[in-house]
Amino acid sequence: MAGKNEAGSSARPGRRRALQSLAAGACLIVVRPAAATPERLAAALRETFGDRQIKRGKVKLELPRLAESGNVVPVTVTVDSAMTERDNVKSVHLFAERNNLPRILEVQLGPYNGKAVVSSRVRLAITQQVLAVAVLSDDTLWSAAAEIEVTVSSCG
Amino acid sequence: MMSRMGKARVRVPERATRGEIVEIRTMVDHPHESGFRHDDMGRPIPRHIVESFTCSYNGREIFRARLHPAVSTNPYFMFYAVATESGELVFTWTDDQGGAATQIARITVTD
Amino acid sequence: MTQSIEMGRRDFLVKTAAATGALVIGFKLPHAAHAAEGAGQTPEVTHWIVIQPDDTVVIRIARSELGQGTFTGLAQLVAEELECDWSKVRPEYADVNEHVRRNRIFKDMSTGGSRGIRDSQEYVRQAGAAAREMLVAAAAQEWGVQASECTAAKGVISHASGKRTTFGKVAGAASGLEIPKEPKLKDKKDWKLIGTSPARFDIPEKTTGKQIYAADVRLPGMVHASVMQCPVFGGKLKSYDESKIKGMRGVKSVVAGEDWVAVVADNWWRANKALKALPVEWDVGENGNVSSESIMCFLRTGIEAKEAPVARKDGDAAGALAGAAKIIEAEYHAPYLNHATMEPQTATALVTDDRVDVWVGTQNGEATIAAASETAGIPLENVYVHKMHAGGGFGRRGPHQEYTKQAVKIAQTMRGTPVRLQWSREEDMRQGRYRPVALVKLRAGLDQNGNWTGWHVRQADQSIIIAVRPAMIKDGVDPINTRCFQDNPYAVPNFTNEYAMRNTHVPPGFWRAVAHTNNPFFRECFIDELSLAAGKDPYQFRRPLLQGKKDLGVLDAVAKAAGWERPAPAGIHRGIAVVDSYGSFTAAVVELSVEGGKVIDVKRVIVAIDCGHVVHPDAVKAQMEGGAIWGLSAVMHEEITIENGRVVQSNFSDYPVLRLAETPPKIETIIMPTGGFWGGVGEPPIGAVIPALCNALFAATGKRVRSMPLKNHGFSYKT
Repeated sequence: MAGKNEAGSSARPGRRRALQSLAAGACLIVVRPAAATPERLAAALRETFGDRQIKRGKVKLELPRLAESGNVVPVTVTVDSAMTERDNVKSVHLFAERNNLPRILEVQLGPYNGKAVVSSRVRLAITQQVLAVAVLSDDTLWSAAAEIEVTVSSCG
Repeated sequence: MMSRMGKARVRVPERATRGEIVEIRTMVDHPHESGFRHDDMGRPIPRHIVESFTCSYNGREIFRARLHPAVSTNPYFMFYAVATESGELVFTWTDDQGGAATQIARITVTD
Repeated sequence: MTQSIEMGRRDFLVKTAAATGALVIGFKLPHAAHAAEGAGQTPEVTHWIVIQPDDTVVIRIARSELGQGTFTGLAQLVAEELECDWSKVRPEYADVNEHVRRNRIFKDMSTGGSRGIRDSQEYVRQAGAAAREMLVAAAAQEWGVQASECTAAKGVISHASGKRTTFGKVAGAASGLEIPKEPKLKDKKDWKLIGTSPARFDIPEKTTGKQIYAADVRLPGMVHASVMQCPVFGGKLKSYDESKIKGMRGVKSVVAGEDWVAVVADNWWRANKALKALPVEWDVGENGNVSSESIMCFLRTGIEAKEAPVARKDGDAAGALAGAAKIIEAEYHAPYLNHATMEPQTATALVTDDRVDVWVGTQNGEATIAAASETAGIPLENVYVHKMHAGGGFGRRGPHQEYTKQAVKIAQTMRGTPVRLQWSREEDMRQGRYRPVALVKLRAGLDQNGNWTGWHVRQADQSIIIAVRPAMIKDGVDPINTRCFQDNPYAVPNFTNEYAMRNTHVPPGFWRAVAHTNNPFFRECFIDELSLAAGKDPYQFRRPLLQGKKDLGVLDAVAKAAGWERPAPAGIHRGIAVVDSYGSFTAAVVELSVEGGKVIDVKRVIVAIDCGHVVHPDAVKAQMEGGAIWGLSAVMHEEITIENGRVVQSNFSDYPVLRLAETPPKIETIIMPTGGFWGGVGEPPIGAVIPALCNALFAATGKRVRSMPLKNHGFSYKT
């Protein structure tokens, strides 16, 4: 049970809450049920991926559960892929649900990388959800989401 | 506006065996100003960001990133590459004011 | 007198973590959290509540106790629904490390904005109700009856058949049940505990001196540090000469950061003495010439700018003013203020290769754990924050974690050795996060009947939120600093509120009540000026403009309590003001006399609050009285000035606060919750008292004071 976020929740055994699951035709999986994904993020996803289904899985998104200022948040995206010529990750996209602009970065990869892992440092203005989407060589889309609390933004 | 692209640093292993997956770390000095900050009188500070970062291995592109304002100041990347042959890795950064930076690292690949 | 924790006098537990072989030294602090896991630990009913076999009810509190009573109030909210025996309740701080590992299960830990009760009340009540349902269900299961046939009261569960058991006996079974997602909450007419004033958990130890603060923590092998930061904000450390203090008694090392240097010694006085003797050179940066005067000039550019961002625009203020029969214009000013918490900024840190422990009186456990983790480069799940009751918070100890980061950085240079870092009083005074300076120009128009037809406010001040949540600034307008104006309750048909941001190098912070410390002074004193110009009584001038607003209720209440409709006794003068803030509505009347035209004798302060609901009336009363004192202190005594880029004041000698002898003999509080909402209590009482006093002062002397502190105008309090 890590203080780091990974794809999946840290519910106690015996008290596992049902995660919002993918409904047929639904485009996006969110960690947090009920609250609607802000429109900006939904629009950005549509712009990038059209109506293609974004499935949950294969992607591990690591970022700290809390950040003090949110100015320099280390993020690592790992995609479960053999990275062969036939079966690899073409691109990784990172989004922030509540930043002024939802896009953070896009990275193009290929079998020449050997491992589908990217790390960077990002700015997250306030408490929010971060989403990583991977496009595989078979054009399927896989994702993971994680929540981060930015503590300095809770103030008087 | 003048570009404030600064110096770049990369960390690539000097040697590797053929087929080994090596870790590459890169950073460039750049304010990567988001455009959402304000100055002392509440006026927006103009955006000035690194827009793209690429890595080529003996002329072949093995990494490309498109950066948006939410990347932190002094953009940092870590990624991996399969060591295939000895040669040069060329890293380039370009920003939205025509600024550019390049770094080159050599790698010796043995069997 | 500090009270240290000595081995043998308190429970001293030494645990060895078998897996890593690391030695973990822990000891039971009062109100310290206990990990959910561990040998011999009672399993929790829910994460909020542990019930021991002896029926002790451990309630976990996520917010911080700063003297405002939240530790007790939150426990009451839980206990009301839990139906436990209140005499068996023992609150403890929710463990911050556990909180992070369990995905923020205790929700918001930040304690600020007068939010502690009002933001938590619903979910903590649900926590109590859920646990009660589980306990009852466990008993019912054991008895083979329906849960609906059982009742819970005072920690006892009964069934009509005569079966009885206690919470402690069924807690184990209850802990295995699913937590109800939507437990039923009581109707407020059935509240037995909420609305009463049980003995507070923090007061006895604070009164007897037994309270352990972060400064009191003593650990085996501990060293002590004092720090100096660049006196000019934004400057950097250039050099220091360690050799000059190497031989000084007790000195162990010197540790430096980018803009600070600290001396570590075997006791704090030696550390501080050596620090003062250490030759240090600073690169003060660009702001070495900034002064209070230059800051005033800078603010003035905001007042005189042709245009400024608009926070609110109703109707046509310019037109109304142009056509007014009478125009009243005034400029008001308020200075920087320091929190001046009685406990200086202090943190103790212990760093090993894979773990960090921090002992600190923080207003936000999450901010501390994040700061410690990022500083040490150790993941959150290996950082442990031991929250202590703070010796005053007032907004100083939440978003600003410099002392935590410094303590961790120093502790990193001596891994395995606990380091207690305490800022000297001088450092605390000069490295504050200050209530910002402000200059405001107000213009209002009256028609020939003395009706208020138009209003224009131009503010020039320093944004606080820009540093912590810049996304809130829209088109140059600071939504927090414009409170009291852009959200004012007065029915003035034509109103423009402009905001000219003018940020200086002086670091701003959230001082208790934030913008509701200076803006009410500007607004409510100016309205007094209007009422005078209109030839109307200041209370009667306000009334028609507040129709339908809850502000009217509290205004009427203080006026009635003061006997406003009757003339004051000879020599006594009164002032009135009304302010809403943090979800609550407050009003104040101050009665005073003035001797020799300069010595102010405050006879009585009357403060009314409508906070919607009241959990602990005595705690609310204490906040009202304390808030009044806070306001009386600021308006007369307090001012932080800048010279050569640095803060001039150093201690309570030159930054005086209200003394006991100056405190008015009567502070009457009227607590009048009208229900239907939950308003805050910690900050609201301050805003109305300051202008009420200044309005009373005008009534007494005919002198209109438009800047604080009053001491600069030759006034003082009678002692």
